[in-house]
Amino acid sequence: MGNEEKGNSLQPTDERVQSFFGERTLPAIEVAPRSLRYRTRRDVLLFGIGAVAALAGGGFFLPQDTLSRMGVRRNMNSPGKEWFLNKALRIDDDVAEALYSKNRRVPTYAKSQITPLKNNYNGTTPDPGYISGWNLTLDGLVSGLSISLDIRNLLTRFSVHEQITRLVCVEGWSAIAWWAGLRFDDLLRAYPPMSQAKWARVESSVNLDASGNSDPYFMSLDLATIRHPQTLLATHLNSQPLTVDHGAPLRLLVPVKLGLKNVKAITRITYVAEEPRDYWAERGYSRYDGI
Amino acid sequence: MSHSTPADCEPNFTSMLPKPPGVLVVRKHHFLVRWSHWLNVPILLGLILSGISIYWASPIYQHKPDPNTGNFDVAADIGIWICAHVPGQHHYSSPPDWIYNHMSLGPGMLALALRLHWLCAYSFMLNGMVYVAGLVMGGGWRSLLPRRADLLDALRMFRYYLGFPFAKLMRRKWLHPLFNTKYNALQRAAYFSVPVAGLLSVATGWAIHKPMQLPWLVALFGGYNAARVWHFWLMLVYILFALPHVILVFADGWDTLRSMIVGWSTRVKRSEAIANGQ
Repeated sequence: MGNEEKGNSLQPTDERVQSFFGERTLPAIEVAPRSLRYRTRRDVLLFGIGAVAALAGGGFFLPQDTLSRMGVRRNMNSPGKEWFLNKALRIDDDVAEALYSKNRRVPTYAKSQITPLKNNYNGTTPDPGYISGWNLTLDGLVSGLSISLDIRNLLTRFSVHEQITRLVCVEGWSAIAWWAGLRFDDLLRAYPPMSQAKWARVESSVNLDASGNSDPYFMSLDLATIRHPQTLLATHLNSQPLTVDHGAPLRLLVPVKLGLKNVKAITRITYVAEEPRDYWAERGYSRYDGI
Repeated sequence: MSHSTPADCEPNFTSMLPKPPGVLVVRKHHFLVRWSHWLNVPILLGLILSGISIYWASPIYQHKPDPNTGNFDVAADIGIWICAHVPGQHHYSSPPDWIYNHMSLGPGMLALALRLHWLCAYSFMLNGMVYVAGLVMGGGWRSLLPRRADLLDALRMFRYYLGFPFAKLMRRKWLHPLFNTKYNALQRAAYFSVPVAGLLSVATGWAIHKPMQLPWLVALFGGYNAARVWHFWLMLVYILFALPHVILVFADGWDTLRSMIVGWSTRVKRSEAIANGQ
């Protein structure tokens, strides 16, 4: 010890005022070499166990494709893995729901900030033939009736709102676009859902898969999001009626959700009490998708 | 300070039994700091691998599609270049995927990558809190704070590291710059920056994840696309930190590595020097 070697007092005499942020001396403690060896052996052993556990955890959580690329032949998929990863997804959904505020408007932009919007139809873009006979059907209403509306009904009965907002895709890209349409909330008020309804199933029956076969698209949406003033049933993009690429004649525009909730070419809205199925949730994505 | 006896001194008999010579150690890292430090390895690995898989779905570095291949992703270009120029990779089946096959979970698994990313991201945030708690409880945070003379001292350390391999080769003496703190200035800069990078990664992550509920956070990083760029470069910061970090720990020796596992270090001289104001 430095003090002893210099023959100073055994007690450290540090008279300088130590600032709160100043680095402190690490007090030296004397231990038996045996105890240092023992602790080292114990902790290194624990460390090794931890490293093996981390490796096992990696094997447990990594996708099968990744493992097989690494040379693992065995099928490592298990219900436990699905459960655990879905749990993480649900926690994240709950966080998203807690963050959501009905009073918070999403940022809006100037016309000069508009960016190109690509057609991100997952499968084949439908043939425009469906547009002439298009109808929107409402189900699960308080009246117990099934209502069918065409685009003229919608545009004459409801006031049109415009907004320039960002559409964010789960893939990571986003686009600022100028939309116009009716508020979903206005439709909800005009055709109130049954009292026990908490969800809407928004559906497009004209959706196609990659080989052009019918692949109806369906998506769950909570009523709180439907009531948000920036949730539109959009009819126009850049002041022009929607093209087939962007879901003519009516698409959902819900900027507080990921793009995959923004259903194109909606054909049916059904109000239900229980959370309905969701196209992308069944393919491993989140259900709530609040952003 | 205990009445310790250096091994080379005559023991000071307080009892009739001769005491075996002790070893002086300092508690260098709080156990929460040690645990969270090692947990960062699998968590960050999971975040980076799943993160690059997510990046695949919509790369931030793109160019106009190549007229022949239709490729627009710079990472795919790098893969193609590697397969063309790196020996042993000429017959790689899918060159555009080389980067994603070697540095991520793989291409075309966005849903899985996102779920893993959330799992690791929440673990990373919890682990970060454990780390901060360990720093506070062990008082280790004080050793990480930047000092006034750090820039000059860091340059001296940098010069030392650069010259070290040459000095070894030439069998010349190459003296380690003297310092009387737990870390040298270069270490301090690195160990201070990495938690800051962690904080920024979490902040940019939330900005990308919840841009509509946290628009102020998005604005802080200069917009949605800029936040994605930040998030990407912060990942590179970890990689750029980890490489020399691992090399230097092994170069520095067993005591340094042991102190992060056991917590104890037998290098007590430095902390003595602080006490004596040297």
